[in-house]
Amino acid sequence: MDWTWFHKWGSPKWFYELSGKWLPWLVGAMVTCLLIGVTWSLLFVPQDYQQGLTNRIFYVHVPVASISLAFFPLMAMAGTIFLVWRMKLADVVVKVAAPLGAWFTALALASGSIWGVDTWGTWWVWDGRLTSLLLQFFLLLGVVSLRTALEDSEGAARACALLSIVGCINVVVIKYSVDWWNTLHQPSTNFTLATDQANGPEIWVPLIFMIVAVYLFFAISLILSTRNEILQREKRAQWVMDLVAKS
Amino acid sequence: MSAARSTLAGAVVATLRRDLLIAYKRKNDLFNPFMFFVLVATLFPIGISPEPEALGEISAGVLWISALLASLLAMDNLFRADFEDGSLELLMLSPHPLYFLVLAKNIAHWLVSGLPIVLVSPLIAYMLNFPEGAYSTLVLTLLLGTPVLSLLGSIGVALTVGLGSRGLILAVITLPMSVPVLIAGTLTVSQTLEGASLSGYLAIMGAMLVAALTLAPLASAAALRISVN
Repeated sequence: MDWTWFHKWGSPKWFYELSGKWLPWLVGAMVTCLLIGVTWSLLFVPQDYQQGLTNRIFYVHVPVASISLAFFPLMAMAGTIFLVWRMKLADVVVKVAAPLGAWFTALALASGSIWGVDTWGTWWVWDGRLTSLLLQFFLLLGVVSLRTALEDSEGAARACALLSIVGCINVVVIKYSVDWWNTLHQPSTNFTLATDQANGPEIWVPLIFMIVAVYLFFAISLILSTRNEILQREKRAQWVMDLVAKS
Repeated sequence: MSAARSTLAGAVVATLRRDLLIAYKRKNDLFNPFMFFVLVATLFPIGISPEPEALGEISAGVLWISALLASLLAMDNLFRADFEDGSLELLMLSPHPLYFLVLAKNIAHWLVSGLPIVLVSPLIAYMLNFPEGAYSTLVLTLLLGTPVLSLLGSIGVALTVGLGSRGLILAVITLPMSVPVLIAGTLTVSQTLEGASLSGYLAIMGAMLVAALTLAPLASAAALRISVN
């Protein structure tokens, strides 16, 4: 098998040039999806008969919450790639994904709170989902602070990769144990989409647009911060100097 | 070096003996986690309420949180002294798998810092008006749970062993990871009080211990190799 496609990922310069070509397309697709999704969900989706206008935050909360669950698997995968093949780009991804993941998790918690205050009548309950997301937020901050504390970049990179893998396993354990804890202590809040079988396509088609838009936003943020980090790490390299001289 | 110590079992026993001997010679380290546990547990009645009913309700949680904090505090001793005097490097240069040596250090550390807490817990529980009929469950859960806390903590310690001041970062990494153990421990106690069968809950805690025993030293050993160059 020809492995050159894989080895190309080892070159930050190659990725920088490639991602530069992707970015306009990604941004275009995101803006399109976001415009369609936002207009549709805020203006044309019929109001919920119980929750009224508040329900529209659903179209922000669900995509953001679903993407925030993807960060630990992403970091664990990139971390494994870094530990096995010593690929610098994978470490850059582990590094920039941690604060980004913390932001997305915070957004998911905040949008959930705003929704909760109107539907549950409280900003916060110790519900299984909320608690496990909060703990994931703390674990992500732990990865960020480990990176800051270990100044040595090679050691910090490997330590953070390992912590991401351990954290990924732990997030799963936390998720199940918190659900277990919660369902025994208080009646679980029936809060899943599965209970809403009656909803027709006019509810979920705009949701799909929003999910695609938020996923694209995530991809663009990740690529932009990765490019930024690459430039900082390679600032002594000739190609970066040429790039700066040109601009 | 004698022939017996060149086998794996010999190396594990030697590590275990050495760590226990060091702990015995430094009685302060032996005593501090234990004192910390008692002190933290004492703060709760003062801070919340001395009413026996109120205390009885929260006592299981208080004991578990105190044990968690005490084990976190004690974790600092696990690799630090060995890292500073260089014996950790020698341990890593040994031909035996680091996994077993780290496991031996963990066991020694738990015997010194975890076991005293488990043993004193019924006394503190009595002072906190812990509900009668769950004492044995409390001790059993602590017996199964505190080693898991030590094993999880050792990953964090191994990752940060090279750092000068690492008190807070260790807590930030370790505490969220300890949540499943805390949940299992307190749930088991409260379910016993409600009359539920114990075996299922203890089986889950046992499973956590087995998983931690198999996986955590692997992660700790890998982390040590990263931290100690």
